[in-house]
Amino acid sequence: MNPLTISVELIFRLALWLLLAPLLPGIINRVKACVAGRKGPPVLQLYYDLARLWQKSVVMSTLASPGFIVGPAVAWVALTGAALLMPIGTANGALSFKGDVLLLIYLLALARFCTAWAALETGSAFEGMGAAREVSYAVLTEAALIAAVLSLSVQSGSSTLGTMLAPSAGPGAILLAAGLFAVLLAENCRVPFDDPNTHLELTMIHEAMALDHSGPPLAVILHGASMKLLLFAVLLSQAVLPIGKLPQPAAAAVLAGSVLAVTVGVGLVESLMARFAFRRVPLLLTVAFLLCLFALVLAWKGGAQ
Amino acid sequence: MLLIALLCVVGGMACGRHLPRLWLALVLAGMAAAIGAASLALGDGAGWEWRSAFRVGGEALHLRLDAISAMFLALMGVVGGGGAVYALGYWTDRDHPDSAPRGRLWWNVMLLSMGLVLLSSNGLHFLIAWEMFAISSYVLIALDRQRRDARAAGWLFLAASHAGTLCLFAFFAMLAARNGDWDLGPMSGRAELAPLFWLALAGFGVKAGLFPMHFWLPSAHANSPSHVSALMSGVAIKMGVYGIVRFSGWFPVPAAAGWIVMGAGAAGALLGIAFSLAQNDLKRLLAYCSVENVGIIFIGLGGALLGAAHGDAPWSRLLLAGALLHVWNHGLCKSLLFFCSGSVLHATGTREMSRLGGLWRAMPWTAGLFALGAVTISGLPPLNAFVSEWLIYLGLFDAASSHDASGWAAVPAALALAAAGALALASFIKAGAVVFLGAPRTEAAERAHESAPMILGPMFALAGACVLIGLAPVALWPAVAGAAHAWRPVWAAAAPAAPLFALGLANVALVVLFVFAGALLWRKANANGLRRALTWDCGYKTPSARMQYTSGSFGRTATDWFSSILLPQRHLRRPRGPFPARAALMGHFPDTVLERIIDPAAAAVMSLSLGARRLQHGRIQFYIVYLLGGLTILAMIVLLG
Repeated sequence: MNPLTISVELIFRLALWLLLAPLLPGIINRVKACVAGRKGPPVLQLYYDLARLWQKSVVMSTLASPGFIVGPAVAWVALTGAALLMPIGTANGALSFKGDVLLLIYLLALARFCTAWAALETGSAFEGMGAAREVSYAVLTEAALIAAVLSLSVQSGSSTLGTMLAPSAGPGAILLAAGLFAVLLAENCRVPFDDPNTHLELTMIHEAMALDHSGPPLAVILHGASMKLLLFAVLLSQAVLPIGKLPQPAAAAVLAGSVLAVTVGVGLVESLMARFAFRRVPLLLTVAFLLCLFALVLAWKGGAQ
Repeated sequence: MLLIALLCVVGGMACGRHLPRLWLALVLAGMAAAIGAASLALGDGAGWEWRSAFRVGGEALHLRLDAISAMFLALMGVVGGGGAVYALGYWTDRDHPDSAPRGRLWWNVMLLSMGLVLLSSNGLHFLIAWEMFAISSYVLIALDRQRRDARAAGWLFLAASHAGTLCLFAFFAMLAARNGDWDLGPMSGRAELAPLFWLALAGFGVKAGLFPMHFWLPSAHANSPSHVSALMSGVAIKMGVYGIVRFSGWFPVPAAAGWIVMGAGAAGALLGIAFSLAQNDLKRLLAYCSVENVGIIFIGLGGALLGAAHGDAPWSRLLLAGALLHVWNHGLCKSLLFFCSGSVLHATGTREMSRLGGLWRAMPWTAGLFALGAVTISGLPPLNAFVSEWLIYLGLFDAASSHDASGWAAVPAALALAAAGALALASFIKAGAVVFLGAPRTEAAERAHESAPMILGPMFALAGACVLIGLAPVALWPAVAGAAHAWRPVWAAAAPAAPLFALGLANVALVVLFVFAGALLWRKANANGLRRALTWDCGYKTPSARMQYTSGSFGRTATDWFSSILLPQRHLRRPRGPFPARAALMGHFPDTVLERIIDPAAAAVMSLSLGARRLQHGRIQFYIVYLLGGLTILAMIVLLG
């Protein structure tokens, strides 16, 4: 491959992630509106919001340091880097090497660090609450995520994302799908873990962390959050379905279809369920962890025969 | 080179009292020579060995510098030199006329004794150096001997350290009894030496702060002056790691060794960081985090032992490389963080996080360096600790994929590592935010000032080292591979077992993009118009500094999950009546092992001893009865036996 092909592919890949990501929250909102019998905002609403926010001026707390603005930027780059590592269909990630899966998970952690740091810049108790919840629940989701990728690694005998995600998840596929779906909901702060529509700051996680941000930094945070949702949807689809084994056009179609299905699923969960009380959230996350752990045990014991 | 280092350090001892500048120059020269010698040994891989013709204490001196000891020696050189610069700015003669000269003298004694521990290849001399090392650490911990808690911490350290040394005495004495002399070296064929490994594990484990033998560590590292804390946490506890690496490489180990070491490591990683998250004292938080990182090192080391027992599986090399690299990475970034905490302590006079806040305005450099150190120690890319944790993860993933019995250790260890990593992130977000962000909570925090260049200089050097290792990990592979080869000669130094080059590439790209994106967004925000206003706080108009989230509330969610082990002591005074005057909540997290196991055991020994003392009261009649009783018992033994 010559440098030109690589850079064209990289730009195409980047454009795909950056442009498609804000579609997902729009779809979720449309599903919720349909279930509730409302008309709902346009599917492209987040694009309009981002364009508007990018033009706006910024109000910054008198207490905040430049980290208040640099933090979201670093978090966004970390999420984009994680997205670029993710294989799409039969194509490997932009950079593929043994152990890239761990780099991906830790880039997500870095994004969490930077978002929480930026939130705490303001010295507001609400943002402190949101950040504390985010980093505490992440202990369980990160353990679940490592259990999930470990089960894929044991199943496929590899720790390279391209090879791990290509086949189906084997005997533990259903367990893994359920576990990863719960992790997706928790990591992206959706119902039943968090309610993105709530207006009561005391009960929020992710939204509470962005309370003080405005203008371009808020746009970057919102876009990063949508990219994280897309990333988890793609990870879930590819982990469970044998997408990498299909021919390229079919793989792309199946991947798009399953990401859409996951998104609609998130919308349905959000329409049909209420948010859990905070003290029950760790219990649900433990269940997600156990599901991934059982998938791991199945992969481990299944492969030995 | 080593001779130059020795001369410089000894010369520094002589002039440390009155000529601090000369002392600094000599220590720096000595440490540079030590680093030079270490890099020579790491470069050619052959090492260096020397036996003296004369005898010291009845034994010929036998010094040996191979790749393993060179790795630890290089770390000691970096932190020892940086700490010496820091000490002159931090513990000045003006503020501490009595203890500063004493500190300089004992600093050199400690460096010298650690160097001897690393070099000596004779059991007797090893023990002498080890004891010197313990005593010099004690003096440095209790340097500020006016303070009661510093004296108590030093005393606890000395007691724990000697309990460990007792095990080492037994270890070396039994070794000498079996070998006929005190000389040490590779003896992997002698299977009968394997059980001695448990003695070494106990003795060195105490020094390394391996859970549950870590109980002395938090108070010792928190109460010593910050440059001493950095040396203790960065280098001194690594001497315990060195001992176990060294003797598990030279001698055969029992079959269960890998399992036990890995289990203790995983437990230590998880519980150490849970304790860390609960702390309100900045330096105690850092100290418990050292327990976590020692746990991570031992996960790698235990995995390497396990893999060596499982037919030298390729993944065991990854684990050993990760463990050895983590020794460096943790040493560098923990020293950086202790230097930062010292800078805060110097500026505000308190280590209590709930009394700090908003320091970034007064001390921007310290705040930035602490943020960098926090990202590093949480094991996040693109910095150095991620590289070593990544190697350990890779080894654990490969071990689990091998579908044999080692998976029973690898899977729980990987999960513990994941949870510990996320808890470390929570712990350091908390520390960074409560200390440096928001509004100052007290007047002391408001009056803070940035530290002198002598204090900031070493911090920048260590931060630079952390970034460099993160960006070019492949450059260190020859050193690590050489050490792995020295540990287990059948593992020939080969091409990197992991794609470190690709990882370095990704890290470089990330750093460039971070800087670029940060600058871009900052400029965009300014171009759109940046206005300052009160924190929004949902429209509340008069927020005060006391309304901010505190360190206790930030960690509460996660520490409650561990409350059956952490055993928090909370005192709540509820507001009473229609016009409540006072209400308070105080939380305290003492060390469970110390309070529940060591203290009761010590109290029991004490009461037994006091009981025994009652036998001695000076009344001659009773002494005659004792004598008669003793004689009767002896006579009965003779008659019956």
